[in-house]
Amino acid sequence: MTAMDTLKNALEASLKPTPTVMLVGLAVVLLFPVLLHFILSASTPYNTLPSVLLVGPSGAGKTALLTLYERGLLPKTEKPAPAQTHTSQTPASVELAVNEDGTSSFRDDLDASGSTAKKFLLVDTPGHAKLRRFALSRLRNIPTTTSTGKTSKAKKDSKLKAVVFVVDAAALADSDGRGDSLAATAEYLYEVLLALQKRMGSSQTSRMPSSVPVLVAANKLDLFSALPAALVKSQLETEIGRIRKTRSRGLLDSGVGADDLAATEESDNWLGEYGSEKFTFAQMLEFYTEVDVIGGNVAGDGPGADKWWKWIAERI
Amino acid sequence: MLDTFEILTTSGVVLWSRTYASVNPSVINHFIADVLIEEKSTAAGANDGNSAATNPPYKHEQHTLRWALVKELNIIFVAVYRSLLHLSWIDKLVDNIKALFVSLYGDQLKKPNTTIVECVQFDEYFDQQLHELEGARSKADDATDEALESRDDTALGGVGEEPPLPPSLAFRGRAQNDAAKEEQSADSTPIMTPNNSRPNTPGGSHLVVAKAGPVAKMSRRAKKAQNAHLAPASSGDEAPARRSNTAKATKPKRGRKWDADGLADVDDGDVQLDYSAPNAVASDSDASAAGRSTAVEEVDASTWGSKTKGKFVLKDLGDEVQSILASAEAKNPATKTDASAGLVGSGLSTIGGLFRNFVGGKVLTKEDLDKAMKGMEEHLLKKNVAREAAVRLCEGVQKELVGVKTGSFESINARVEKAMEASLTKMLTPTSSLDLLREIDSIAAPPVTSPNKARPYVMSIVGVNGVGKSTNLSKICFFLLQNKYKVLIAAGDTFRSGAVEQLAVHVRNLKELTVREGGQVELYQKGYGKDAATVAKDAVAFAAQEGFDVVLIDTAGRRHNDQRLMSSLEKFAKLARPDKILMVGEALVGTDSVAQARNFNASFGPGRSLDGFIISKCDTVGDMVGALVSIVHATNVPVLFVGVGQHYSDLRNFSVRWAVEKLLSSS
Ligand SMILES: Nc1nc2c(ncn2[C@@H]2O[C@H](COP(=O)(O)OP(=O)(O)OP(=O)(O)O)[C@@H](O)[C@H]2O)c(=O)[nH]1
Ligand SMILES: [Mg+2]
Repeated sequence: MTAMDTLKNALEASLKPTPTVMLVGLAVVLLFPVLLHFILSASTPYNTLPSVLLVGPSGAGKTALLTLYERGLLPKTEKPAPAQTHTSQTPASVELAVNEDGTSSFRDDLDASGSTAKKFLLVDTPGHAKLRRFALSRLRNIPTTTSTGKTSKAKKDSKLKAVVFVVDAAALADSDGRGDSLAATAEYLYEVLLALQKRMGSSQTSRMPSSVPVLVAANKLDLFSALPAALVKSQLETEIGRIRKTRSRGLLDSGVGADDLAATEESDNWLGEYGSEKFTFAQMLEFYTEVDVIGGNVAGDGPGADKWWKWIAERI
Repeated sequence: MLDTFEILTTSGVVLWSRTYASVNPSVINHFIADVLIEEKSTAAGANDGNSAATNPPYKHEQHTLRWALVKELNIIFVAVYRSLLHLSWIDKLVDNIKALFVSLYGDQLKKPNTTIVECVQFDEYFDQQLHELEGARSKADDATDEALESRDDTALGGVGEEPPLPPSLAFRGRAQNDAAKEEQSADSTPIMTPNNSRPNTPGGSHLVVAKAGPVAKMSRRAKKAQNAHLAPASSGDEAPARRSNTAKATKPKRGRKWDADGLADVDDGDVQLDYSAPNAVASDSDASAAGRSTAVEEVDASTWGSKTKGKFVLKDLGDEVQSILASAEAKNPATKTDASAGLVGSGLSTIGGLFRNFVGGKVLTKEDLDKAMKGMEEHLLKKNVAREAAVRLCEGVQKELVGVKTGSFESINARVEKAMEASLTKMLTPTSSLDLLREIDSIAAPPVTSPNKARPYVMSIVGVNGVGKSTNLSKICFFLLQNKYKVLIAAGDTFRSGAVEQLAVHVRNLKELTVREGGQVELYQKGYGKDAATVAKDAVAFAAQEGFDVVLIDTAGRRHNDQRLMSSLEKFAKLARPDKILMVGEALVGTDSVAQARNFNASFGPGRSLDGFIISKCDTVGDMVGALVSIVHATNVPVLFVGVGQHYSDLRNFSVRWAVEKLLSSS
């Protein structure tokens, strides 16, 4: 009997429009979706690991490099070799680790040596011109979704630590004056650097986003026809200088009206030191973006990929 | 013969491959770029990439590719062979391998942040399938060879005809169920598997089949006495055709193996090749003569034990493969009937589904998407996208989204919109971007190191009547003049009265406007009635003589269905040899845009097509810029410029982001 009564009382109380009931109800209604959101978003793993982005034109060796580093970490691989690869259509990421002071080789098995490891994600992006959206939108700090499957969502990306721009040094050497490879490569690098420059410039008001250094990895130095790193650097600089000049003289983009024009100064779209005659990578330091050029190779005999790994490890 | 078979992810990593003759990786790269990224084979609108039987074969140089996709797992299966050969069984092979690989390694493929899939074991499954299919198709030829050549074979397994398979299948399924299960579970954990206990190479195991056949058959017969009538059938379970391959190839192998005992592994590669080339069998006489020494007999006897075991494992493999393929087959229709669950169940799931609509995290099904896609299609049609293009875009998006989970607090419509944004961006982004000034520089003023001599850069403009060819030509000219180029405008419209005068007015205006800028422009005209192609050619020659940087050729407007006028474009392209042929299209044009773009794109003869579009009058249509989607859909040729007004300066580089924003904006 008493049980029935208390139940009845409780029911009645809960239906009366008292302030407590209303507050509790309101709180439930308001908090529920928030809670749900946390539950759902918590199920997306790895969104807090720092990441390193692999970009570069198609065929440069990004995916090959990614697989080399991943397989290098496998236990019991004496001489890690990259997997066979083909043109990528979707990004892929791989979890890698370096030890605390960034000195371990990608061949070291850190679990075995017992040192504490810093984990990071190496993210490969497709280099095909139609698919550069993946890479560029990450650089521009715009959240994107990848269509399906393996890759987790690119969250708003303050965890981007570095960008590795892979270049096929052998293909650069083949190109003569109107060489497609050099022009295409330089153009992509121009886009990347400009995106980074704008990223640094855009948020002067609030906290600065952490600077993102760029490594230009001159790949395929195992091939005798490949350009050495120093030449890769100078050729890319000259070509970017040329691009910069024609862009400034070029047509406006559609959608840019006269009023927008007043708002954006011409110097905003000029890569590097404004008005300078020649472009050099050093000019990017003005925007807290350091650019290094290091040679190496993924496959074959040559300097190997260790220097790049060291560069990455130092920046995690 | 098959050259190579590869299983790779959409992110470009080869998971498993088998190569018989090395194929340049660029073959598959071209396939990926052409078919999967640029979607050049637009003809097959309905094809969803799922099955090699329905996917059109892709041809590159001397190679033909058959392929299949698994969208959910992001993997691609590709078989490459010489186009000269007609291998009718390849599509079946690709589909079967797909089913097998997915069922064996599907779980591994879903793991995030890794590109490694442990699938060394897959070699055996592949060999099994290859032999079965290849054998089955070439059985007819083999049967005659076999009768002439090897008594052993006929004694071994009976006759060259197919045994009644269904009963034997059922029987074996029961008898070896456990073993099969065990092996399957072992496969999902890559470390240990019973297969490792025997020589792990396909060559070795097949050697075993043929040799140990009689023994194994005896024991099985004894065991299954009550099923005596089935026994012969079950002994030939891998189909006699397969045995014929293996038995024949065995002989050379036998000789070799005992030549170099320790090098058995090294030999294996060759042996595989032997299997794959059963027509090379006749060469076995020498080798087999050596192999039939007494020593061989002894050693064979001593290894019977393990060989018998090898045989059983191989049989299990065949069974397992059959059952996997059967279940994959069964799953196909099953997915459709699945939806009709119990009333309560479906009620609950609808409520859950409704709920999920708001909070996200919902796995999208075709039914969920249908409505959203209908809405999206309507939306695109309202933006003046041709129906054909809208349907294709929506189908693509729908296929991409089925099975995808929505993000938290993401509605279906929002997800669809996002996917559509991605598709539109991909479609409209050119494969190689155009920096016109740089291109002109590289031709009109090449660097001293370049072997190319300086010559004028030739650009011509085509299109239907009244779309604004001359106006846009003048706009481009204005832009070039601002950049201090020396431009020659050629009056290629020798047809419509008043056309030359109209150009003359433009040139006069341009001269006035740019007199301070430092550019220089002239008109080249030969009046009316002359052959336009010859005039253009002469203009180019004249420009080269006079040191012009750029030649802009105006052409007569023509209806795209006017056969006579359209056919003259081919001659024009041959004589004037333009570096760029641009077509002007109106933003206003409706459904006709697709046909216009297609016909013009095809009119320059083989090996030449349009290089880009200029979309004029974009300022008059507001958000309804769908025409540019229609024409890119129809031709795969990028839009380079858009005209946005009446002034010479109202020409803009085409920005993909701008277009996509307009297309998706709702108002
Ligand atoms: N000789 C040589 N070949 C290399 C080297 N690195 C990569 N390759 C080859 O270059 C080709 C292209 O490499 P990928 O890694 O697929 O290129 P990618 O940059 O991922 O290209 P996309 O995915 O199209 O953007 C592969 O065939 C590699 O084997 C190298 O250091 N030396
Ligand atoms: Mg790649």
